[in-house]
Amino acid sequence: MELLLPCLYSFMGCVGYCLVFNIRMRKRMLLLASLGGAVGWCVYLLCGWLQNDITQSFAAILAVAAYSEIMARLQKSPATVYLIVGLIPLVPGGGIYYTMEYCINGDMMNFMNTGIHTLGIAGALAIGILLVSACVRILNNIQRRKRRETA
Amino acid sequence: MDYNELLHVSADVGSELLESGAETYRVEESVYRLVSAYGAREANVFAVPTCIIVSITLGDGSTVSKTRRIYARGTNLDRIDLLNALCRRICRGEVPLEEAYGELEAIRRLGGSPPARRCAGYVLIAFSFALFFGGTLADAGCAAVIGLAMFFVVFALERWKANAVFVNIIASGVTMMLAVAAVGLGLGQNIDKMVIGALMNLVPGVAITNAMRDIMAGDYLAGQARLTEALLTAAAMALGAGAALAVARML
Repeated sequence: MELLLPCLYSFMGCVGYCLVFNIRMRKRMLLLASLGGAVGWCVYLLCGWLQNDITQSFAAILAVAAYSEIMARLQKSPATVYLIVGLIPLVPGGGIYYTMEYCINGDMMNFMNTGIHTLGIAGALAIGILLVSACVRILNNIQRRKRRETA
Repeated sequence: MDYNELLHVSADVGSELLESGAETYRVEESVYRLVSAYGAREANVFAVPTCIIVSITLGDGSTVSKTRRIYARGTNLDRIDLLNALCRRICRGEVPLEEAYGELEAIRRLGGSPPARRCAGYVLIAFSFALFFGGTLADAGCAAVIGLAMFFVVFALERWKANAVFVNIIASGVTMMLAVAAVGLGLGQNIDKMVIGALMNLVPGVAITNAMRDIMAGDYLAGQARLTEALLTAAAMALGAGAALAVARML
């Protein structure tokens, strides 16, 4: 239950994003894209033993990016479609909010702490996306070369 | 082969992709492949988030080119997928050039997400993420109403062609004020959960994702532009919500 409910909420939130970004039921894209968000959060929670939300976010974004690339191959549609939606639950919305609140309260110590921590999460997300799209690029090039050699 | 026609079709596909929020390398590669599939001897495509240039060298060695400035930018992921599918079919030689324009028009006619759908999206996002970040059901209910109000603010400001940073400042300010009011009236308990949930609507997810993918693809100029967009949006959200919170504390 502790695992299921947050994943369900992130799925619902992603459905909302699909509505805003005009992802339709064509090719079941709405469900598959939203499922990416749930997968990401599931991995985040399963990595709870790491006790570090930056590493957890990193693991989760790797899962989301890999999921997006796999879906892109299966569905023959761009990976970004799945990645943009799947990323949303991992965005440190809470961190940004509390950073702002500490700033308004004049609590400089906590402001710096939370701010840098939030930046860390954002950085982990960025590096995760970079890493997976770099690997996919390399794999694509290898595949292309093989095809050219056989042709 | 009518090269003027080819130039128009390719510039249209490119600018539609850019306006729908595709990554730069996808735009450049799609247009390049499209032009090559129709038999251009050499093709060069340059795209940044605000402009696309297509230059084609013909069989007889003469060169034609077209520049298209992009003003409006939104997110329409369905259109990116449809255009991508069209480009794949063109590359396989299934679509003659005369028909390509008609197909493009058909995709265009589908339009973006209608306001009612977007509105439902805003409400659902605010509701789910308020729960997601640990709010109670009452908080989520308030967040849903705030999301609805936020949609009308964003919709109206976009209609008046307000600048994106300004829209974000106003929308997050309104969100914060409504959340403070909701707690003041005893409708919800946690201002923070409500506001975080509702503000998830404004999070620059497209800008972050595309910035990273653009930078990885070597399009540093486009990546930097999108990164700036992401940072400015986040700063505008914090500024609007922060200013509203400060005002609410003074009252």
